[in-house]
Amino acid sequence: MFQIKYNYLNKMKKILIAIILLFLVKLSYAQDLVKKIPANAFTVATIKGDNIFKLMFVKDFNESFLGKKLLTEASKSLDKNFNSIEDFGINLDKNMYYFNQLSDSITYNCFLIPLKDASRFENLIKDKNEKVKTTGDVRTMTLPDSSSLMMWNNNMMYFVTGSIRSDFFSDSTHAARYGIKDIRYQNSYDAAAVADSTTAVVDVAATPADTAARVDPIDEYTKELIKPQASKKNTVKKKAGRGNKKQSTKKKITKGKKPVKKPGVIKRTNPGQLSDDDLYTDTANTIASTMADSTYTDSTTTNYDDRYSEYQKERAAEDAKKKKLAFIWMNAQADKIFNTEFESITNNKSYVKSYVASLDDKAIASLWVSSLQDVYNAIAPEFGTYGKAGIMKGYGSLNAKLFMDKQSFRISTGLELAQEQADVYKKIMNRKLNKNFLKYVNSEKAIGFMGYSIDTKAYLEEFPKLMKQTYGSFLGGRMDEEIGLGADLFSLLLDEEAVSKVIKGDALFIINGLNTKEVTYTSYDYDDDYNRKEVTKTKKETLPDFLFMFSSEDTRLINKLVKYGINKEYVTADHNIYKIQEKKSPIDIYFMIKDGIVFFGNSLAEMQSISSNQYQTAISKQHKTLLSKNNFSFLFNAKNLIGKVPEEEFGGAETAEKFNTTLSKMGNVYIKSNPIKGNVVSGEISAEIPNGHENALKYLFSLIENAAK
Amino acid sequence: MNLKQFYALLLFIILIPSLSSCFQVIEEITMKNNGTGDVVLTINLSQSKTKVASVMLLDSINGYKVPSKQKVQQKLNEAVAYLRKSDGISNVKSSADFNNFIATISFSFKDVSNINNITKNILAQQKIKATNNSSYSFNKTTHIFSRKYQPIGTAKTEFSKLKSQDKAIFNTATYTSIYRFESPVTTTSNPASNVSKSKKAVMLKSSIMDLINGKINVSNQIQLSK
Repeated sequence: MFQIKYNYLNKMKKILIAIILLFLVKLSYAQDLVKKIPANAFTVATIKGDNIFKLMFVKDFNESFLGKKLLTEASKSLDKNFNSIEDFGINLDKNMYYFNQLSDSITYNCFLIPLKDASRFENLIKDKNEKVKTTGDVRTMTLPDSSSLMMWNNNMMYFVTGSIRSDFFSDSTHAARYGIKDIRYQNSYDAAAVADSTTAVVDVAATPADTAARVDPIDEYTKELIKPQASKKNTVKKKAGRGNKKQSTKKKITKGKKPVKKPGVIKRTNPGQLSDDDLYTDTANTIASTMADSTYTDSTTTNYDDRYSEYQKERAAEDAKKKKLAFIWMNAQADKIFNTEFESITNNKSYVKSYVASLDDKAIASLWVSSLQDVYNAIAPEFGTYGKAGIMKGYGSLNAKLFMDKQSFRISTGLELAQEQADVYKKIMNRKLNKNFLKYVNSEKAIGFMGYSIDTKAYLEEFPKLMKQTYGSFLGGRMDEEIGLGADLFSLLLDEEAVSKVIKGDALFIINGLNTKEVTYTSYDYDDDYNRKEVTKTKKETLPDFLFMFSSEDTRLINKLVKYGINKEYVTADHNIYKIQEKKSPIDIYFMIKDGIVFFGNSLAEMQSISSNQYQTAISKQHKTLLSKNNFSFLFNAKNLIGKVPEEEFGGAETAEKFNTTLSKMGNVYIKSNPIKGNVVSGEISAEIPNGHENALKYLFSLIENAAK
Repeated sequence: MNLKQFYALLLFIILIPSLSSCFQVIEEITMKNNGTGDVVLTINLSQSKTKVASVMLLDSINGYKVPSKQKVQQKLNEAVAYLRKSDGISNVKSSADFNNFIATISFSFKDVSNINNITKNILAQQKIKATNNSSYSFNKTTHIFSRKYQPIGTAKTEFSKLKSQDKAIFNTATYTSIYRFESPVTTTSNPASNVSKSKKAVMLKSSIMDLINGKINVSNQIQLSK
């Protein structure tokens, strides 16, 4: 008995150990490069190698058109022989990452690639002896124009390219701190001519000191520069830096010629108070008045060409400085990522919540953007001061995932909302499509449909709030009161309840097929003298039959409108079906009110069958689910359109053929919005693949191959 | 969604299949033996009127602004005003039918050479580059009417830059020129041209696509009996 128990326990223990071991293996496997992405990364894109190569074996890839092309091109350009993408040394079973980091001064675009065989990877580099620096097992290579950097060891490769944000240096404090000038080419004749040539003089005179003065601070502050994000933490250091810089500027100026000194100092000591243009003009005026007999005569008469080439030279010099700075920052950033431990993105709550939760799913690629509000603010300076207000207020992180499976391509996206915003959306989206709509969908014939449902009452009630939130800050604090007032007025004037009875908020638009009708047109015949005679001919035109419907509980207003329309002869009535008399419209439009639904359509026959309850319902289960479960849904069924449009509508058999083959390559396309979960709104777009293909990825490859032929 | 937006959405769907539309351009010149004559220019889009009517409801399509009825009328009036000021031109009339989308301009000339450059100048006035250089002449003594047509090379390259969906508009468009005379025609130099039963008129029909591509040349030298 005991023995048995012991055995049992022993067995359990073994199983447990096995499970733990398995778990550990799984964990170490999960130890992927995501740990190397800093927590403050702005965008993270992932390509999931293992998922991709589950859909398509490496061998299949190598033999595909795209794979062959890649391998032959690589072989040709590197003068080597690659037979498989595995020859590149990349670990294809692990995730590859792209991320970027933004700051007010520099943007880093970075790639993290897992390596399987570093020596194979190195094969991709030409003349590596020259450029590659080795420290321990870390190898570093600078790309030819110093704009990017590559670092790798036996397990991973890191590539970074940094670009300085030009607006950072238009702030003279920043510019001065790093010894960079904001140079502009000015066209206004004399003032600019003097200003430009004098700055040029300063520069030339300052050159000897300049190099020392400028390089020094850079080296001196390298540590500081490593964190170029000019966050608040840096302010103190920055001040120190500026003070120092001022000295060096002074040094420079004393070396320059006297009249320049004053304006020069003004420029440096009052940064930001005057615009640069003002400064230049000021400078020019001062100079112009002080130098009567001056040595400057020559430079003031410098012609435009010279001035322009001077400008270009200076500009190039400044650009070189910026580039050098970028390079220093980039090196430091790469070193940090590669060689140190830091708080990684896996500690970023938003990332983990919206992203990691689905890391083990079947997506083959995914994208995460930290916050739309932040994105907007980051690019805002380029939009001017208004941008700061943040139209994207309340919109958080965004994520998108790409799936390719046996049936379809699918992209699902999710957007995180601020709680307040999410509550508003929840209220607005609290409505389902009228079930009676579904009677009028013919899945066999339908080319497409689009349905949406919102709660009109909630929408009208929340609308002013949304407007206030979005545009309130946009217009600045000053307008807050007025906007509040406007919002109240809106509510006062509108009886939300009453409106929501007339238009409940759900609608469906369907194209149930194509119809051919005869139309007349004018052409000419010619007699024996080639005199022109106008004749009326007929031709067939193919038009889609559409049906649009929305629910209405209270049709009194609509009925009144109809009556008014009839009186004014905008509308004609045939029993309960009305026709809109619109001369400009190329098609006839009918409408009808029945069972709390307002119908619009261009097919009289369809309208009549609805009116007499003889409409043949033929909705598929799939379409029923799609329409009734989601607030927004869209379908395009290409198959139902193939061969339905006559050739003459295309102006030639060739175009018609092209059109039909394109359609035959498309499956159904769906778009839908999902109900709000927590505070995340999400949606999905998917495109089915035609039968006879193993999976979407392989289908995509075959499409590419066909397109290239 | 107001009615116009609704129409726009609807038309977008209707227009998806294609935008190819049939339109005709007809140029008629009636020559008298004394060298004077009349011209009628017609653009007929009625075969595509459903599409044109649809397009007219939109603000822009494929990135091109759709002119309003008023704008079209105004351009037509500008052309008429220009013609009235031109040397040797008289009796200028125009018409525009916005139900069938047919527009005509007619006028009389003292000498057929008066109309040289007129089309080009009208186009230039509307900031449209002409696709050809055309000149007409009538020799009263030899009784030879000639039209010299020279396609402008750049037209073809400009055209090839258009998106295929924009090119499709010209797929089925035709250009017809008709020249009528008082005396019978003896010979025509362009083999693509037809002489009427009465021998007093010559017609040349071609696709606008072929003209732009330079596949067809509408130059013609017409000898009248003396």
